[in-house]
Amino acid sequence: MLTVSVKWQKKVFEGIEIDVTLPPYVFKAQLYDLTGVPPERQKIMVKGGLLKDDADWSAIGVKDGQKLMMMGTADEIVKAPEKAIVFAEDLPEEEQATNLGYSAGLVNLGNTCYMNSTVQCLKSVPELKSALSNYSLAGRSNDVDQTSHMLTVATRELFGDLDRSVNAVSPTQFWMTLRKKFPQFSQLQNGMHMQQDAEECWTQLLYTLSQSLKAPASSEDSDAVKALFGVNLRSRVHCQESGEESSETESVYSLKCHISHEVNHLHEGLKHGLKGELEKTSPALGRTAVYLKESLIDSLPRYLTVQFVRFFWKRETNQKAKILRKVDYPLELDIFDLCSEDLRKKLEAPRQKLRDEEGKKLGLQPKSSSKDSDVKMTDAAEAPSNEGGESSTAAQQEGASSSSEKGTHMTGIYDLVTVLTHKGRSADSGHYVAWVKQESGKWIQYDDSHPSIQREEDITKLSGGGDWHMAYIIMYKARFVSM
Amino acid sequence: MAPGPDPNSVGDGAKRDEATTKVPSKDPKKKDDKKEEDLSEEDLQLKQNLELYVERVQDPNPELQKAALESMRQEIRASTSSMTSVPKPLKFLRPHYGTLKEFHKNMAESDLKKLLADILSVLALTMSAEGERESLGYRLTGSEGDIGSWGHEYVRNLAGEIAEEYTVRQGEESSIEDLMDLVQQIVAFHMKHNAETEAVDLLMDVEDLDLLLEHVDRTNFRRTCNYLTSAAKYLPGPDDMLVLDIAYMIYIKFEEYPNALQIALFLDNMQYVKQVFTSCTDLLRKKQFCYMISRHGITFELDPEMVENDVDREMLQDIVNNTKLSEGYLTLARDIEVMEAKTPEDIYKAHLLDGRASSGPSADSARQNLAATFVNAFVNAGFGQDKLMTVPSDSTSGSAGNWLFKNKEHGKTSAAASLGMILLWDVDAGLTHLDKYFHTNDNPIIAGALLGVGIVNCGIKNDCDPALALLGEYIDKEDSSVRIGAIMGLGIAYAGSQNDQIKSSLSPILNDAKAPLDVIAFAALSLGMIYVGSCNEEVAQSIIFALMDRSEAELGEALTRFLPLGLGLLYLGKQESVEATAEVSKTFNEKIRKYCDMTLLSCAYAGTGNVLKVQDLLAQCGEHLEKGDNHQGPAVLGLAMVAMSEELGLDMAIRSLERVLQYGEQNVRRAVPLALGLLCISNPKVTVMDTLSRLSHDTDSEVAMSAIISLGLIGAGTNNARIAGMLRNLSSYYYKDASLLFCVRIAQGLVHMGKGLLTLSPFHSERLLLSPTALAGIVTLLHACLDMKSIILGKYHYVLYFLVLAMQPRMMLTVDENLKPISVPVRVGQAVDVVGQAGRPKTITGFQTHSTPVLLAAGERAELATDKYIPLSPILEGFIILKENPDYREE
Repeated sequence: MLTVSVKWQKKVFEGIEIDVTLPPYVFKAQLYDLTGVPPERQKIMVKGGLLKDDADWSAIGVKDGQKLMMMGTADEIVKAPEKAIVFAEDLPEEEQATNLGYSAGLVNLGNTCYMNSTVQCLKSVPELKSALSNYSLAGRSNDVDQTSHMLTVATRELFGDLDRSVNAVSPTQFWMTLRKKFPQFSQLQNGMHMQQDAEECWTQLLYTLSQSLKAPASSEDSDAVKALFGVNLRSRVHCQESGEESSETESVYSLKCHISHEVNHLHEGLKHGLKGELEKTSPALGRTAVYLKESLIDSLPRYLTVQFVRFFWKRETNQKAKILRKVDYPLELDIFDLCSEDLRKKLEAPRQKLRDEEGKKLGLQPKSSSKDSDVKMTDAAEAPSNEGGESSTAAQQEGASSSSEKGTHMTGIYDLVTVLTHKGRSADSGHYVAWVKQESGKWIQYDDSHPSIQREEDITKLSGGGDWHMAYIIMYKARFVSM
Repeated sequence: MAPGPDPNSVGDGAKRDEATTKVPSKDPKKKDDKKEEDLSEEDLQLKQNLELYVERVQDPNPELQKAALESMRQEIRASTSSMTSVPKPLKFLRPHYGTLKEFHKNMAESDLKKLLADILSVLALTMSAEGERESLGYRLTGSEGDIGSWGHEYVRNLAGEIAEEYTVRQGEESSIEDLMDLVQQIVAFHMKHNAETEAVDLLMDVEDLDLLLEHVDRTNFRRTCNYLTSAAKYLPGPDDMLVLDIAYMIYIKFEEYPNALQIALFLDNMQYVKQVFTSCTDLLRKKQFCYMISRHGITFELDPEMVENDVDREMLQDIVNNTKLSEGYLTLARDIEVMEAKTPEDIYKAHLLDGRASSGPSADSARQNLAATFVNAFVNAGFGQDKLMTVPSDSTSGSAGNWLFKNKEHGKTSAAASLGMILLWDVDAGLTHLDKYFHTNDNPIIAGALLGVGIVNCGIKNDCDPALALLGEYIDKEDSSVRIGAIMGLGIAYAGSQNDQIKSSLSPILNDAKAPLDVIAFAALSLGMIYVGSCNEEVAQSIIFALMDRSEAELGEALTRFLPLGLGLLYLGKQESVEATAEVSKTFNEKIRKYCDMTLLSCAYAGTGNVLKVQDLLAQCGEHLEKGDNHQGPAVLGLAMVAMSEELGLDMAIRSLERVLQYGEQNVRRAVPLALGLLCISNPKVTVMDTLSRLSHDTDSEVAMSAIISLGLIGAGTNNARIAGMLRNLSSYYYKDASLLFCVRIAQGLVHMGKGLLTLSPFHSERLLLSPTALAGIVTLLHACLDMKSIILGKYHYVLYFLVLAMQPRMMLTVDENLKPISVPVRVGQAVDVVGQAGRPKTITGFQTHSTPVLLAAGERAELATDKYIPLSPILEGFIILKENPDYREE
């Protein structure tokens, strides 16, 4: 009979007797009583290894009073989860792309950064993407020519490729159709394709899309592009000399931000751009007179595009020169005071509501969370995106009807979503880059084939006043409020 | 003419009466005239007196001669006491040196001749031509009077000449007895006059340090030993050992046992260690010795001769076995309030980066989860709790299992082993936690559990040998991952123990023709660890045979590098002992021959600072070779290993590496960041940090990877904000490159290792001692990093756990006589090198006062800020036992 002490975890069991005539299994059973560890899971360290169930005590050489150590638990044995975990590395390439949270870049095919950045900016409009995906050959109206059709299809394919791929996409097909449709982009210089003005590319592309996406039969989404980007202006043309006054309406795809010496901020530039002088024959005076044209916004688009008029034709040098002046633009734009009286009235109620909501949020939780819900709100507004006013009157009607149907309203407040910048001294040279805000709120800089993450505060630094990238075309997304 | 010297000219020149003598003789040449005009009247007087003496010395009248010599002597003595410029009398006697010398030669043997020889000896101080050693020559023929009476400078000069003379005579093999008498005198003089350093220098020159023992006393032995130990670093072998031997003897003589023990450990002389224990009678002090030995990380058995009482011996052995390390570490953690477990996200601090990380990827990335596993393991090392692995398993599925299964295949090995890291040093709790993983049938998990057992036991010895008992069974299992887990676990748990039982079970694997290469590689490595620095012949033979048996193809494998490394570790720091094996290695297949050669050389001279070896290795790095040769990697690492021991060599190595970086081949450049990492391990020097930061953006991704890992190494356990910031930026820079991101994550984990309480530095005890096991762990990781892609980024990522061998709390924990922690105020500041400085200079600068336990950063030193207690060791690092000061009075 031996007496030993056994150490188990942090406890020590003193004075355990071993009957050396019985196999160690009996000893283990003793320990089972003390510790609750089943004998098969007990590991008892003795000289030369673990104590075996059928070992001979005399051979082991355990001495009286010796301290033994036991390891073992009654814990449940770990089991693999029933549902196997899927690892990102095992996913097919397409699914890995979504993991990154943003889409791929575009390969520069030789001075095509103007095109790449335009495509990246437009691609960030989900409504346009869905409109394109609905586009099909069958739905093509007869008045769309072949090249426009091809360009539309090429755009759709390119958007699709960008979403699917991890690595940079080469937009060869798109480029060819673009050049076919607009031969001016094929200009060569020293055997190379020339750098082009991104604004021209933007306008032309959008125009083509608007033509081809115009559904002939269905009245609802008759002009998807116009519904998304179109701004209706109501202008008052006034001749000071004769006192004549007339009003006219027009629809544009972008507002111009004129840059003069007084303009330091986007808002001032826009105001400036909405006022203009023109010379025309005055019926009253019988000669040409200077008319003052003042425009106001009559209906708001879902996406408001603003072009900084940075380039002007310089006769002396025979090229498009660039105004480097710094013009600040906000991340959040309020264009209430550029709106017409009618529109202002309509906006008042939603704006009040928005203010209330924001106030509430501020009172309750910090601002960051309010941003999230904004995103949700606009997401909710995406569903009816294909609709929208085709003309100012239609917008008004719809505004009245949609309040009951969808319960979302324009507020006149816009959030910055894309910035197309130019770096360099003239429009036909330098480098274009697109900066796009993702749904997650991250900003991505698409520098041709290299997308990279940027900070929001760096986006506002693209306002010019140096040789850094400066905003050329920026796009805002309307903020909606549900009533 | 007056027979004696002018009484007024003797003694204090400054107070000389102006009106005493009108100078009669005005015969000097015109040239002198000009000079004399510049002289003050006193000087003029002195000059003339001296000229007079010179004349009189040559007088045939011995009386007159004697009087003149006496006065000349007095004049010189009076002025040589201080030595800021050449003393006036010597200056004025300059023109007459030749005359006096001539006269002396012709003088008959007499006391006067000796007297003149004395004076000539002093004059030779400034006059004698380089290499003539006239001062010494005249001294030896002189009157052998009190050597110090001529002033310090004279003695110093004499010492220099003796050294020269000694070398000459050694060459001629002539007697040196007369010199030694003089040496005796000089040493005695120096030792009495706070010039220990000079005494030591002289004795080193004449190779007779034993003399020192007679001359040291209580007041100067510390400074003497201090000088000896620091000088040892710069001496070639075997002189350094000799010097340290003397220092050891002096310490023993004055019962300064902790220092003696330190040196004994440095010399790796167990006999000396034993002597420290037998010479000391105080049990409490012995406890302190045990703490010191445990920090060094060697296996040491106390025998009855050292400690008589069985109960006491058991208690001391417990300290040596490090069983209380976990407890002390947790005391520190609680005091600093860092017990709260941290998640990898807390370390990544992605919220400080823009946008991206806020919405993580939807699917789990196995690579990133593996990184998180390592980060979690390193950050929570030793704390016993974390938020991934040890969270209490709820009954539904066992949430602890959840994280484990978020790792893929071999990733599960590292995940299970991370439990060992989290419960580091806490054997009881660790084994309890790991137990359940032994019962699965998933081989990678079992492998991880085995490795975990090894990690938990790292540096801890236990009578029951739980690690051996548990792991031993799995060494010969079918599955090679399980085998590797067990083998590596044993290597870590028994590093430095020289355990025969393990040797007999691991050695057969090496020469088993059927064993896969990876098993063999890890077996060699583990044996190298277990027998680190032992020069064990048997183990060396087994590894050599294993290397010879490898086929051509196998020699090209990445893991094969562990075989020469295992061999090298056997000779870690053992210098010449490696030569026989190095000779054998020349017969290896040429694919591995050079690699082996470099590894052996660098290991053998690791930590010695041997300049010749540094040059050898540098030469290797400078060669431009064709593709396929891979031995330059270990050569670069070897450069760091050899040079890392002392500050000067270290700085030089850093500078040389910059050059290598510029001109070296690509495979050399890849190793340079790792070498820098080793040189500054856990010591984030700003210059090195900048270099590595630059390299972390290198176009060669392998250079970038090793630079990133090295950034982690130099910041290991420091929480250095700058490195943390750099790594954060790198994480967003490389977010798309999974491999580089993995490296960044690992580095982040290293920087925050143990939440900033740990260090990886193998040096301790004021950078004097080098823990062999710690170095072995780091070097192994670095060698693995030489081929990052196939080892760490492949399926052998668990080699990262070898770092555990070097992990030590960078703390100073004070305990009372019952070994219970007590808090006392201490000053912690930058350590100042006070070797050879006069007086009692401050040993730290820029200090702050804290109360223990405190953290010590690299290059910092602590001192007690209270007189209430006396520390039992002068090196305030790790565990320090405090004794109450009997003379202390509360004020």
